[in-house]
Parts: sequence; C-alpha cells; structure tokens
Amino acid sequence: MSTQPAGFKSWLFTTDHKKIGVMYLVTSLVFFVVGLLLALIMRTEQLDLTKKVIIDADLFNTAFTIHGAAMVLFWMIPVLLGFLANYMIPLMIGAHDVAFPRLNALSFWLYVGAGLIAVCALILPGRLDTGWTGYPPYSIVGPANTAFYVFAVHLLGASSIAGAVNFITTIITLRAPGMTWGRLNLTVWGLFGAFIIQIVGVPVLAAAVTLLLFDKYLGTSFYDGTKGGSPILYEHLFWFYAHPAVYVVALPVFGVVSDIISTFSRKKVYGYTSMAIAIMIITVVGFETWVHHLYVAGTLNWTRVVFMWGTIAIGVPTGIKTFNWLATLHKGSIELTTPMLHALGFISLFTIGGVTGIANGLLGFDIQVHDTHWVVAHFHYVLAISMSMLCMGAIYYWFPKFTGKMYNESLGKTAFWITLIGAMIAFLPQFHLGYDGIPRRYWKLPAKYGPEMKVAVIFSYITIVGFLMTLYNFVHSAIKGKKAPANPWNSLSLEWQIPSPPPFYNFENIPTITDGPYEYGKPADNTVKAH
Amino acid sequence: MLKQVVRLLMAALFVSIPYAAAAAERLPDPVKAWNNHFKTWAVVSIVVYLVVTVPLIYFVFKYKRRKKDENGAYIEGNTALEILWTIVPMIIIIMLGVQSWAVFNDLRDVPKDHIEVKAVGFMYGFEMYSPEGIMTLNELRVPVGNIKVNLSSKDVIHDFALPAFRTREDMVPGENTYLWFSAKEPGEYPVYCAEFCGSGHSSMLAKVIVMKKEDYEAWVKSKQAASSTTAALTPDVKGKELVEKLGCLGCHGIAGETKAGPALNGLIGKSEELEDGKKVVIDEAFVMEKIADPKAKPVKGFSHIMPPNALAKEDYEAIAAYLKTIK
Repeated sequence: MSTQPAGFKSWLFTTDHKKIGVMYLVTSLVFFVVGLLLALIMRTEQLDLTKKVIIDADLFNTAFTIHGAAMVLFWMIPVLLGFLANYMIPLMIGAHDVAFPRLNALSFWLYVGAGLIAVCALILPGRLDTGWTGYPPYSIVGPANTAFYVFAVHLLGASSIAGAVNFITTIITLRAPGMTWGRLNLTVWGLFGAFIIQIVGVPVLAAAVTLLLFDKYLGTSFYDGTKGGSPILYEHLFWFYAHPAVYVVALPVFGVVSDIISTFSRKKVYGYTSMAIAIMIITVVGFETWVHHLYVAGTLNWTRVVFMWGTIAIGVPTGIKTFNWLATLHKGSIELTTPMLHALGFISLFTIGGVTGIANGLLGFDIQVHDTHWVVAHFHYVLAISMSMLCMGAIYYWFPKFTGKMYNESLGKTAFWITLIGAMIAFLPQFHLGYDGIPRRYWKLPAKYGPEMKVAVIFSYITIVGFLMTLYNFVHSAIKGKKAPANPWNSLSLEWQIPSPPPFYNFENIPTITDGPYEYGKPADNTVKAH
Repeated sequence: MLKQVVRLLMAALFVSIPYAAAAAERLPDPVKAWNNHFKTWAVVSIVVYLVVTVPLIYFVFKYKRRKKDENGAYIEGNTALEILWTIVPMIIIIMLGVQSWAVFNDLRDVPKDHIEVKAVGFMYGFEMYSPEGIMTLNELRVPVGNIKVNLSSKDVIHDFALPAFRTREDMVPGENTYLWFSAKEPGEYPVYCAEFCGSGHSSMLAKVIVMKKEDYEAWVKSKQAASSTTAALTPDVKGKELVEKLGCLGCHGIAGETKAGPALNGLIGKSEELEDGKKVVIDEAFVMEKIADPKAKPVKGFSHIMPPNALAKEDYEAIAAYLKTIK
C-alpha cells in the first residue's frame, strides 16, 4: 500500500481521483456562487420595470450571459461529471483509481483555465454580452470579445473530452470482479450516459465556436448569410451539443435520485433494468431533439415536425423514471433526512419543469412561448433550480464519505425548506409572462408586469438565501462537523463499505462483488432471483 | 394483472382515437386553435402533476420508518405496471403531438386569399413595407384580412413576435422567412423582438395596426399624396424624413439621450475623442463619412455596430442639413 502524501503540493500535483474530485467540487461551488450573485443582481434590476435600478442594459446582457455559462458549464456539469464521477465511480465499481489518473488531473486544470477565461469575459473590456449561446452575427459584429467565449469553450471542451474518455474506459474496464452491468449503481449508469453524450457532442460545439472565431477575426463567412454562409448553421451545430448537454446534467441527477431514495427507503430501486434502459434511451434520443431550439428560426416546416416527435418522446423514459421512484417509495421504510428531502423536492420541482417542457416541445404550442419568459421559467424548474437542489442533496448524501464529518442536519433541513419554498414560487409568474408572449433577455419588461416580477424577485431572493445557508452548512461542517462513521446510512452500496474518508488506495484488496447495491431486505433463501 | 392492464389500454385507446381525430381536424382560426391546445395541455399537466405529487406525499407519511433497522418490502419490479406507465405517457404524448401538429399547420399554412407585406429588422427597430411600397417605421398598418409578413434582417438575427396572433418567426440576415396572421378586429397589437440582439433588444418594439378597409385605403392615399410632394422639400425637411425612414432613431436619440449611438441633436460642432486618441470636431463631412462607413474613425466609448449605408449624395447632404437644425 502506498501512503498518502500530505501538504499543499499534494493537492497541486495530485492524480488521486478523490483529491481531484474535491478540487472539482470546490471550484464548481465558487462558480455556483458567482452565478447566484449574478442572479441576485439581475433580479434586483427587475424590481423596477420603468427605469434603471442598478445596472444598464449592457451590464444586464453580460450578467445573463455569464450567469448561464457559469451555472451550466462551470457549475452543474463539473459538479456532476467532475466531482461526483471522480469521487464516486472508482468507489462504486471497486477500483483503486480511474483508468488514466494523469489525464484526469489534466481535465481538472483545463477546467480551471477555462474558468479563468470566463472570469475575464465578465470583468475585462469587451465583456461577453452575447448570451451563453453566442449566436452570430451578433457575436461577430457586436462589441463583445468573442475570443473569450471561444477559448473558454475550447479548454472546457478538451477537459470534457478527456474526462469522457477516461470515465468511459474506467467504467468498462476497471469494474471489480463480480461487478456486472446489472449491479452498477444507477448513478454510475447516469454518468455513463452523460459521458457518452459528452464524447459525441462536445467536438461539434468546439467546431462551431472555432468557425465563429474564424468569422470574427479572420474574415471568413461560415455564418454570414450575405456571403454564402448561414447564421442558422451555427444554431444547428451549437444545439446539437447544447441541448443534449441538459441530459449530461439530468442523467447523473436521475441516478443520484435513485440512489438516495433507495438508501433512505431501505428498499430496492423499483424496476432497476427499466431505469438503466431509460437512461440509455435518453442518451440516444437526446440527439434527436435539438431543432426545437430552432422552431421559429425559419427551419423547414416538416423538419420541425420530425424534431417535435423526438423532443416529446423524451417524456416517456422520463415518466418511467418518475413512476419507478414513486414505486420505490411505496412500501419502503422512509427516513426524511436532508438528502432524502432534496431528492423528493427535486421530483416535485422537476415535474413542473417536465410538463412545461412538453409544452415547449409541442410545435404549435411553442410558437407562442418560444424565447419568452415561459422558457426561462421552464428550464429553471426542470434543470437549474431542481438539479442544483439535487446536487446539494448529493453533496449532503456523500458528505460523511468524502469529508469524514457529519453535516448539520437541522440547518440542512431548514435551508432545504427555504430553498424549496422560494423555488416553487420564484418562476411561476414568468409562466404568465410567457403565456402573454413576452420575450426573455429583456433588460426592461413592459411595465404592467411589475407586480408579477416583484413576486418573482422576492422569492428568488428567498431561494438564494436558502442555497447560501446550505453552502454555509457545508463549509462549517467540513471544518467543525462531528466525526462521521464509515456508513452512517447503513447503505449496501460499495462506497459505504470502506472507511470515511476513504483510504488513499480505496480498497486494501479489490473486493469481489456478490450482489447489487440496492438489495435491502432481500430474503435469505434463494427463491428470489437476484440480478 | 396483465390482462387487466391490456384491457385498460384498449379502453384508453378507444377513447382517445376519436379525440385525436377531432384534434387533427383543421380549425380555421389559429388563435382559437392555440387556445384550445393550451387548455388541453393544461388539463393533462395538472393531472400528471397530481398523479406524481399526491402519492409522493402520501407514501412519505404512510411508509415513515418506524423502527431503526427496518427494511422496506423486497420488490424488484412489476413488468405489467412498468409497461402501463410506459404506454400511458406514450398515448398522452401522441395525442398532444397530433393536436400540436394541427395547430402548427394552422399557424404556418398561409390561406390563399392574403395580402403580402414586408418587415425588415435592424438594430433597433422594424421597417415595415405595405403592399403599395409605403415604408413605415415600427408600425405595420394593414387592412382587415389575412396578412402574410415576409421577414428579413439588415444586421443580426431579430424576431417578429406577434403574441396577440400566437405567432412569431426569426428575421435572419441573408435569408427570407415568413409568418401570417388573420387580422379580424381593427386595433393595435404589440410586436416584440424575441431574439436577443444587443443593447437595444428590450426597446425594439413595434405594433401592428389593423384598420378597416376604407380607413386603410384612405391612409394609403394620404401617404402617396405626401410622397409625390417630397421632391420639392427643403434639404433639412427631407433629411428629417430620411432619418426617420432609415431607422436611425432606433439607436440615436434626438433629445440628448445616449442610446446605442450618440444623440443626434447638437452633434455637429461637438468635439469627440477617437479610439486612436485623436480629437475631432464633428462637422458635416465627418457625419456624411460616418453614415456611409460607420466603422471608419471609430469614436471612443461606443460599440461600432451600425450597418453601412449607400445613399445618394444629396441624401447625405439632406441628413447633414437636418442635423444642423437640431440643437
């Protein structure tokens, strides 16, 4: 057994998946706070719809650009595919480390580099104001320094591709003896699907922004409709990755929800096989949806119809997952710990986002609400707040494992309820604006929506306070928390069978797996067929 | 169990087929069709939400953990049930999809008896052209009837969003797109730009004015009469018309306010610093040069997003003459 090196350098030069995981967590949480502060600023600006409150239109545009990029690209994807995958996959499949530890470290540092460029885009002159989508021609003829955007995407893309190669290899080749595909945690299944999407999609995005760079700085005309190109080409290439990117976030989240619900219901995940199949279906069908972002972009009418069916078809595997979660709760032995509350809160928010997302997918419906506040409300329910909340739940759930300390349960529950109440109401008024067809990304909205926006602003503040309390809980508990036992939840999953925090090489000897992670209360006799 | 499920599915299918057929039947009015579609969706969504959240809350209370080391029941799954909650969402989605497809056809298939107008987006406003070729800025006047609007853009992607008629479509530079609406009631209907286009995005507003046929014809006549007298105008009056017609006021104020570009009043005679540090006093020649090629001699403190213009020489002079008159 090697011993664990100590000190500052041991973090800087580490190739240990656990340390890299923790560094991903800390960095992504920093970006989460940046995103929250930008949300705070934008919401404050919406307090008065008739005049400037604190920022002008240009700063508002920069705020929503960086808010979107920070939240999706630098918080949600890294916390799941960086922290969670790094820390949990080797522990869950029974491996000493990932397949390529040094490549893993490179992934992390590329992510940090991309993050620094994103910060530059926020504070240096030529602030990025194009929206996180960076549509040409505005990103080409507009005042923004689009190079920030392109290079951030390049570095982050390289990081993502390296990560995807690494983890797909790890999951396929480093599973412990007896760890069959049918015994993997659903978290691992979700991450597996997410990494497949990354490896297929990210190169396309990288190509798209590279052409943008050429158009802006070298005078090419890939996206110039007056010189033989087409701005719509960019939209296709961008959304080919950027829509599946929401499944990159969603699939691991689905997996984590299954893990948490199973642990705290002390009951096997209902319909394990259909859960795994649903994940893989979303992975594939997710690539047949992107044109719904171009429903009103002059796309051929029949193309829109084709992609409508692809888009709303996603509702079916998602529905399967939701009902299986409910069936897992049925006849369980449910304990409402903080992580469990987050998982259940996620389902309640996600369902609002889900049904309103079907509305966006429905072609005839969408034309009225396309690019309106309806869409903003929808993706905050389905993705932004619900999944950020679930990420908090995931951090709570594995907090004893990776810190070796217990978090503060009562503060955790209080913060949860504050976040949930805020999140439930904060975006409801915007469905009304969307129904009226009021476009998003407006610095100033029509003044008659003042009262609605005040409600939205106040409850957004409440949500933000809830999240900040959760973050305080993490920091405080990591320093001053009580020492955690190896397996505080009595979980059967492999990562809980080793000490907290795990030793340097995870497992003294690679274990031989004889059963799945969810076999709670399995009858001792062999009358029940095991996986 | 399986038998019951199959029976239930048959019943559901039996109920839904005529419904889907009715939904696919063309409604003549896209607004009405959309409103119906919304109602159907809303009912389905509320039911789905309750079907998920009510059992969720019920189970949490019913199956609360009683003893410390208690396990839940050992259940692997149930194929019949899992098939049920695959097929039922599928049916719901197909029903909604068919209805939406029908609404979409209503929204996109332009009726044969229609009038064609044109709208061109720019940063930040809309140029509207009537069938007679009359250009108006940020207001589209149309007679009662079916209106097809051909859309394009001068600079970046904009969008012509017309919520009152449940329709919108992007305006893409270098491409031609369209939308149509059925103008039934005379009145004013707001138009928004719904594709992010920069600093002035949220003030890129316009309206569609639907007029009675006779009112519209009278308006066309008055406009045509006015334009035949334009030739005799003095340069500064002609310049004022040009500034309004070319959409300059989307980015330039005439009351001292700085928008995306500098205010036009008092501009001539002002001294400004260029990006290379040189100081210039703005005169007529400078203004004329900048209108033709806005990227030349960039002035400090502004983003240089104005599109170039190719006007006749006397038009440049007319605009300069107009600018001299506003202080």
